[in-house]
Amino acid sequence: MASAAPQLEAPLIAGGKTPLAVTRDICAVLDRRATGRWWAGFLAALAALLLGVAAVAYQLVVGIGTWGLNKTVGWAFDITNFVFWVGIGHAGTLISAVLFLLRQRWRTSVNRAAEAMTVFAVICAGLFPVIHMGRPWLAFWIIPYPNMRGPLWVNFRSPLVWDFFAILAYFTISATFWYVGMIPDLATIRDRARPGFRKRLFGVLSLGWDGSYRTWMRYETLYTLLAGLATPLVISVHTIVSWDFATSVIPGWHTTIFPPYFVAGAIFSGMSMVLTLMIVARKTMALEDYITVGHVDKMCKLTLAVSLMVALAYLTELFTAFYSGNPYEQFAFKNRMLGPLGWSYAVMALCNVGISQLLWFRKVRTSLGWVLCISILANVGMWFERFVIIVTSLHRDYLPSSWSDYAPTSIEIATLIGSFGLFFTCFLLFCRFVPVIAISEVKGVLSAGRSTEARERSTAAAAEQEGATA
Amino acid sequence: MEERADAEAVLGPARDEFPQPPVPEQAPHGRRDFLRAAGFAVGAAMVGCGRAPVERAVPYLVMPEQVIAGRASHYASACGACPAGCGVLAKSRDGRPIKLEGLDEHPLSRGGLCAVGQAAILGLYDSHRFNHPLRDGEQTSWERLDSEVMTALDRLSEEGGPIRILTGTIHSPTVLAAIETFVARFPDARHVVYDALSSSAIADAHERTHGRRMLPHYRFDRAKVIVGLDADFLGTWISPVEYTAQWREARRIGGSASNRAHHVQFEARLSLTGTKADRRYRIAPGQVGSLLSHLAARLAGKAGVEFDGAPASDPPVAAAVLDGLADRLWAARGESLVASGSQSVLDQVVCNFINHLLQSYGSTVDIGRVSRQRQGNDRALETLLAEMSRGAVGALLIAGCNPVFELPRGADLAEQIRKLPLSVSFAERPDETSEACRWVCAVPHYLEAWGDGEPVQGVLTLQQPLIEPIGGTRPLLETLAAWAGHWRPAHEMVRGRWRDEVFPAQAADSEFESFWQKAVHDGVCLASGETGAAPAAFNHAAVRPSPAASEPAAGRFAVSLYAKPGLLDGSHAYNAWLQELPDPVTKVAWDNYACLSPKAATEAGIEEGDVLRLVAADGGGPLELPVVLQPGQHDSTVAVALGYGAKASERFAGAGPEWLERGESVGPNGRVGVNAASFLRFADGSLSPTAVTASVSSAGRRHALAATQTHHTITVPEHLAPRGAARRSAIQETTLGELGSHGVPGGEHPAAHDESLWRQDHEYPGHRWGMAIDLDACTGCSACVVACQVENNIPVVGRDEVHRRREMHWIRIDRYYEGADPELRVAHQPMLCQHCDHAPCETVCPVLATVHSDEGLNQQVYNRCVGTRYCANNCPYKVRRFNWFDYARDDPTENLALNPDVTVRSRGVMEKCSFCAQRIQEAKIEARRLGIAVEDGAIRTACEQSCPAHAIVFGDVNDSESQISRALASPRAYRVLEEINVRPSVTYLQVVREDSGKGASSG
Repeated sequence: MASAAPQLEAPLIAGGKTPLAVTRDICAVLDRRATGRWWAGFLAALAALLLGVAAVAYQLVVGIGTWGLNKTVGWAFDITNFVFWVGIGHAGTLISAVLFLLRQRWRTSVNRAAEAMTVFAVICAGLFPVIHMGRPWLAFWIIPYPNMRGPLWVNFRSPLVWDFFAILAYFTISATFWYVGMIPDLATIRDRARPGFRKRLFGVLSLGWDGSYRTWMRYETLYTLLAGLATPLVISVHTIVSWDFATSVIPGWHTTIFPPYFVAGAIFSGMSMVLTLMIVARKTMALEDYITVGHVDKMCKLTLAVSLMVALAYLTELFTAFYSGNPYEQFAFKNRMLGPLGWSYAVMALCNVGISQLLWFRKVRTSLGWVLCISILANVGMWFERFVIIVTSLHRDYLPSSWSDYAPTSIEIATLIGSFGLFFTCFLLFCRFVPVIAISEVKGVLSAGRSTEARERSTAAAAEQEGATA
Repeated sequence: MEERADAEAVLGPARDEFPQPPVPEQAPHGRRDFLRAAGFAVGAAMVGCGRAPVERAVPYLVMPEQVIAGRASHYASACGACPAGCGVLAKSRDGRPIKLEGLDEHPLSRGGLCAVGQAAILGLYDSHRFNHPLRDGEQTSWERLDSEVMTALDRLSEEGGPIRILTGTIHSPTVLAAIETFVARFPDARHVVYDALSSSAIADAHERTHGRRMLPHYRFDRAKVIVGLDADFLGTWISPVEYTAQWREARRIGGSASNRAHHVQFEARLSLTGTKADRRYRIAPGQVGSLLSHLAARLAGKAGVEFDGAPASDPPVAAAVLDGLADRLWAARGESLVASGSQSVLDQVVCNFINHLLQSYGSTVDIGRVSRQRQGNDRALETLLAEMSRGAVGALLIAGCNPVFELPRGADLAEQIRKLPLSVSFAERPDETSEACRWVCAVPHYLEAWGDGEPVQGVLTLQQPLIEPIGGTRPLLETLAAWAGHWRPAHEMVRGRWRDEVFPAQAADSEFESFWQKAVHDGVCLASGETGAAPAAFNHAAVRPSPAASEPAAGRFAVSLYAKPGLLDGSHAYNAWLQELPDPVTKVAWDNYACLSPKAATEAGIEEGDVLRLVAADGGGPLELPVVLQPGQHDSTVAVALGYGAKASERFAGAGPEWLERGESVGPNGRVGVNAASFLRFADGSLSPTAVTASVSSAGRRHALAATQTHHTITVPEHLAPRGAARRSAIQETTLGELGSHGVPGGEHPAAHDESLWRQDHEYPGHRWGMAIDLDACTGCSACVVACQVENNIPVVGRDEVHRRREMHWIRIDRYYEGADPELRVAHQPMLCQHCDHAPCETVCPVLATVHSDEGLNQQVYNRCVGTRYCANNCPYKVRRFNWFDYARDDPTENLALNPDVTVRSRGVMEKCSFCAQRIQEAKIEARRLGIAVEDGAIRTACEQSCPAHAIVFGDVNDSESQISRALASPRAYRVLEEINVRPSVTYLQVVREDSGKGASSG
């Protein structure tokens, strides 16, 4: 495959790594004591998380009134955050499953982190539908479980019930996929660990992995199957989330374009989040050889493509509104752009469509500083996209008498910060305790883009090293 | 030691004598024991988790007469909330009144009851009420009060010291007789009456023109042309419920549209009445006289009567308008009515002259049976105040009014009262005046005492107590009798007077007992026979043209003080429901403010919410008030509501749910709003609300007002409007011409949805409830809003929550402006749950907490609701209300006002209009009990019942004979947002406008 024309392709992994070096490099993070940087990051994330916990606890005790919602705007930060985090979760599955099925071998350096990100993002997302309820202690009522309340059952016509299934399915598959993908690496850690708790723990987690041909074969089959299962979810989850809005009667929500629009947006935000995390991780964990500028470049191209899809969705939405002849629809979109919350539309358009066009330039794509900025702004923009859809549609709908403004309270802002705290706390712990790059998969692509000569050189070096260790 | 050993020795064998049975605990624990213990433990834990303490319902051992647990009784009475004297039907459950309804048989109010009347029930259960008499602010006993006050009165009587009784309007013949008897005992005693919202000038003018001081009984129902001049007769003027019913009668579109009365309003600020007029013209408050004179000159010309001196200045409106109006009035003479709210006697004299020329006396202005709803005599009040400031008063007894709060120099008056040898306040609850008085006689709420009334000569009403007095109060009637030395219960006195005076004057019943029973049952009795002495002939000599209008000097504004329909003179400022009721025109609750026209504000560089400093030209004030931009207001006028800043509103400090970012319900003065009474003036013997001009400057701060509606027009902002579709279709209008010529509606009617992707999945085999609301009749008075709040246990949320747009009212009144000054049009639209057939809320609820009944009701199941708020988001009408907090219900006395038929909702639950499901259920049960079908009209929702204009009809749409079915067949019927095919069960009838172009000039 790639070796057929080695000189035409840049190597996927830089630094002429040997498989042993890969193991060492990646496990180094787990072996050494946590760095000051890690602690700083972790404590910051933990503080944010605790702030969020306090805010949510206060809200649970006092009531949803501690949010800035009102009779007209019944959802704002809560569902914005929910959709935002679900969206972030999309890239993980896309990179792991879709790129895997499409044989994009460069994915190996980023898929582990992306999958972890997915799992944590879905956890963050899943919190909001619960805490946004007026009586969250009864949240289990949206689950269709056998109960003794007579004929009471959930309303299968409600998109919120569909959401429950979609999110649950997505979380289950993503977590499974992530875990299954990790098994060979968990075994590596087990093998490297000294006898003791760590060894036993990873022994259990690696499910008795023995690295045999047979095991590998079973593993590859399962992984492919899971990838196949997960792929439709990339489409389905955000499609279903978008139905929350699309099936309503509110102008600006009641739009058939929402499923593809949401999926594109979700992938865009997810890719951006992966870029942000990877650029930071490669620097702080000395993984420059594994996550190369080439990886970033490829991710940027993908991001740019999705950004254009998002732009297309925005334009189509506007076109449809003005072509529809529906005055409510037309007003909703004019109000989005030029109304009192027009600034949020501007932020959204600028970040998601405007700034990402810089990615057309190779110079920008290969300049990590630029890419980091663009990727962070893309997520700011994507958060505002959901805010725009939710709040600007609600705050001025059919009857002008009920039009109202919306402003978040300190509790809502603290809850948003808290969700980031939760995400980064989980992610930083993940970086500490589990290989952040899929060791086994990276080893499989070491040869990609290398000349035969180089490969031989590295094999020789490997033999030498192994001899030395032995 | 020995004893102990002995005991041991003795007991030892004894123990053996009674071998212990095997102790079960010693047996090994089995599975069942474990489960049992676990069960107990879980049970014990569950007990601790209970949501509410267990309350036991104990049945009556001996059932009190007429009380059937769970069933309501209704008693007729007369409303005591203001002197208009409307009839009420009090609903009593388990011995406590819980709801006041309008009394259908009442000849004046005709079944309506205003917001204030509805809310008065909260006053009964007000825990801040006096429940004992006070001496110097300390609790005392009635015996001590009686003996000391009587001693003081006797001393004054011997010394010939002046004794004054100052009251608000009292039209109870029994009380008036008692006061008369009391006054007669003393050498120098006088009864002075004033009204905070005075109509004294009308009475004074009639003294000049008709030789007798009287307030005529206006009959808007007999008029074909109605002209109002600064008279908010649909909102606050004299007897708004009565006038609304009359006005509606006159404006009803029956067989022919031409029968409908033409209504023209001239006013300085946009009043409720102005919003409903066919033609409305803005004039400065001081221009009423000039306008009347111009009109009088034209009419005098037509009548061939000499009018002494035509006015020199130009009329405040175009001459053509006046010409046209004069023609129209003249053509309808005998069936026209000019009503002026001016407090200038000169203006009112001219107004009388006009009515005289138009032959209104005897038809639309009844002076045969006069009104007693305003008896204030401002001249007498002025004299009393002068006496007070001279220190020439020995004793002041104050009842049914709060002069320290309501009069311009209240603080001075309070000082003077404090210096009096004897000062007595008859008050229900602490107010500014009771604070200044040495003695406070706690008086009962009108639902606790016997009483009577005669709001209009010949219309006698009876008040009966519905509950044992909650505190140790005593009615004014009994106190006066006690001081006169012969205390009798009020019941005896009222009954005695009715036996001696009323019974002989009627012919229907020959037996007093049955007459009395009937009168108590009906609550109202019409005295037949004489109508009082005929007034003297019209005295032309009294008529003088009013002085020319004086425009306020540049940079100054004419101040127009007014009352809000919810708070009136402020005597109900204690009432949380009324404080939270948004003003029907500005939609602002919990505050008063300075209204400026948008043009004037722009010119002065003032924005809505800026705090203004008003200083009267004669040095009064200053008042610091936030600004509201009020379209329809005269450009040189600033309007401020009275009744705010009352001591009684201090209780609202801390109102509303408590949390981190809570804002206060009271202002910096610790009260709700600011008292504007300091801008009232005595002008020519009348207490005038428009006598002051004021300079206006910014106070340099802002105050966000709590408004329930912040976008005021039916059109969307111009820069956001789709081309040609700026106007929303919620309000639809037609014209008289269209109605008359085609009998078809004129407004936009979206094509009916014949085809629908959405299956019609609801069958309505039995009833199918629906509602029709006539927007042409609706005046926006908001009686329905409070009625609904009382009926459905709707919480009060406080100023900050209203400001956050979280008021809980199930029915709101949307007020839309269209066009701009001077062609401003206004429409009021009651908006409540539309009980859609294709309800968007029903499909989206994940837990089926909102479902459709087979009678067409959209039902909210509170205990199933988890509070996702998805339903509220998806409601195109935005009528769903969410319990953002656990709203305070911690006043046990106040909680007695709760309707036991309606669940009190907890935090986190959605709620909304239920079409008064409890009333539907009650009527269905009653019908089943009697074995009959539910009759049309047997179910009346709270909003429908209270509506003074009878704008709301509720009933069974499946019954083709029902009133609702007839209303649905009206050519004016339309449904709001019909185009989105949610199929609401509420139908609106279009607003009817006069044909444009014809205007006032058409005949």
